[in-house]
Amino acid sequence: MKQYDKITPDGTKELLFEECMERRRVENILKDLFFRHGYTEVVTPGLEYYDVFSKGSRHFVQESMYKLCDLKGRLMVMRPDSTLPIARMTATRLRNENLPIRLFYNQVVYRMNKHMAGSSDEVAQTGVELIGVCSQMADLEVISTASYALSRFKSNDYRIEIGHIGLFQSLVSHITGDTDVKEELRRLIEQKNYARLNDVLEEYSSIPQAQILQRLPRLYGGEEVLKEAEGLFVDEETRGILAYLRTLYEQTCQCAQGGKVMLDLGLVNENDYYTGVIFRGYLEGSGETVLSGGRYDHLLRDFGADLPAVGFGVDVDAVTKALMQVNTPQVPPPQVLVFARKGFEIAALNFLRTQVKAGVRCENALCQTLEEALMYAKEKHIRQVAHVGQTIEIIQAGE
Amino acid sequence: MKPIRIALTKGRLEKNTVALFQKMGFDCQNLLNKGRKLILDIPNANLQVVLAKAADVITYVERGVCDMGVVGKDTILELGSQFYDVMDLGFGKCQFALAAPKNSPFYEGYTVKRIATKYPKIATEFFEKKGMDIEIIKIEGSVELAPLLGLSHAIVDIVETGTTLKENGLEVIEYIEPVSAHVIVNIASLKMRKGEIEPLLQKMEQAKGEL
Repeated sequence: MKQYDKITPDGTKELLFEECMERRRVENILKDLFFRHGYTEVVTPGLEYYDVFSKGSRHFVQESMYKLCDLKGRLMVMRPDSTLPIARMTATRLRNENLPIRLFYNQVVYRMNKHMAGSSDEVAQTGVELIGVCSQMADLEVISTASYALSRFKSNDYRIEIGHIGLFQSLVSHITGDTDVKEELRRLIEQKNYARLNDVLEEYSSIPQAQILQRLPRLYGGEEVLKEAEGLFVDEETRGILAYLRTLYEQTCQCAQGGKVMLDLGLVNENDYYTGVIFRGYLEGSGETVLSGGRYDHLLRDFGADLPAVGFGVDVDAVTKALMQVNTPQVPPPQVLVFARKGFEIAALNFLRTQVKAGVRCENALCQTLEEALMYAKEKHIRQVAHVGQTIEIIQAGE
Repeated sequence: MKPIRIALTKGRLEKNTVALFQKMGFDCQNLLNKGRKLILDIPNANLQVVLAKAADVITYVERGVCDMGVVGKDTILELGSQFYDVMDLGFGKCQFALAAPKNSPFYEGYTVKRIATKYPKIATEFFEKKGMDIEIIKIEGSVELAPLLGLSHAIVDIVETGTTLKENGLEVIEYIEPVSAHVIVNIASLKMRKGEIEPLLQKMEQAKGEL
């Protein structure tokens, strides 16, 4: 029988030394940053009931989730997302808290991706959720926090991109086709598939909104996008959304010192729990979307508490990968190797503890002789050897 | 400045794309005398061309190691997921079709039909839409062989002129979808390098009309 006991499952990987250190560094930067912005960390279970991710607007593609059964035969999934569990948790356990509720998380999610294409099924995500307030200031706070977070990794080479799901929803409500047609339009706009989009919309050419839909995926870039859109959109609802986007865009630009903020009015995520502004982040050196988020005002209602919310998550693995392309950090060697002469083992360990307490990285030598300890220190690039006997002698191990 | 990297599907689509690049005034010397090299520079356009198999073009663009790619829609339909599919180049035209031995009553009878194909996803989705249960047999080479040898009732494959089908006693039962060469772009690249990629796409759009 073939045994799979020497390999890790497809889509997973082990992180060693530098990789692990860098990922933790990225996580710590984000955690610290969110904490300092007044957010508090929560942990949700790694296993959830399938039902959390299978209803209506919070529908995840069945094939993308790892499933298993509990002891009563109920279907469970490995958490494919953190926002839904946090919405559930807030709606059930924090419903009487003072608003707003600011939460952050730092945990992995599991998604079945296309195998053997270099993508991982286990993704580390760190993100925030701001729950209980629907206001421009709340949106601005969260988007500018997203922008600030990315600037901590690459001060200049990042982009934050803003859109609004309301534009697409309003336009598509005028298209008379069934939900399949609407979903196809959404997918074509998401993929910027201009040619096919034109074909599908040809049938609706008498509807003015169809012409705007056709243009929607091309409306991305800087301020010029808003100018063009303001000429295209005529009804009150969409003009209201555009005016809102303009303010948000200008304010985010001011927070991010311009140039790094973009608009994409064709941003139409597959997650249909978003109800308002949506945004994404990109980092130079990463071919992936490293940050994504948006406003979801109806999600908590699904779980029994009618609270608006906005949030985003950072793909920590993608950020780590982009940073490591430029600069691989080295795990520093211990500074001191402590070697105990026979009979002075306790004294040596006590000495080691005083060093550790002072913040020095030490290693206890498991060698027989001082010569061996010196050799070992040299190989491991440990600068100093502390020879503990009656007295403590510090020897430079040399390079 | 870092060049824009574009992956081309080796073979016929590559030749067509190089012709398109020449129309656009790009210096294609390196591409025409490529020898066995797989990465080639277009010096006067800050463009780097990567030659790859169709399925790999998708992987490279999706994973962001190439910014753009030229690949057949057949491969996009079969494998694609996360990238922008921005332009139909109009060349490399053919059709996805369901074909069976001449005069065979494919839709009749109660037997679950066996379909041989190189494109299991497309075949599955086609019959799913019809609400028809079928059995897929994945074939790597000349799919037309399968029904001739009695392995399958029909095939789903790309058909250009129909000559191969005809010569092997097969006929098209139904056309599924037209296919041609598409330009795809990595999501992050389009956003990070809009200023370079957009003008390039515009130029391609113009030149493809003149081919």
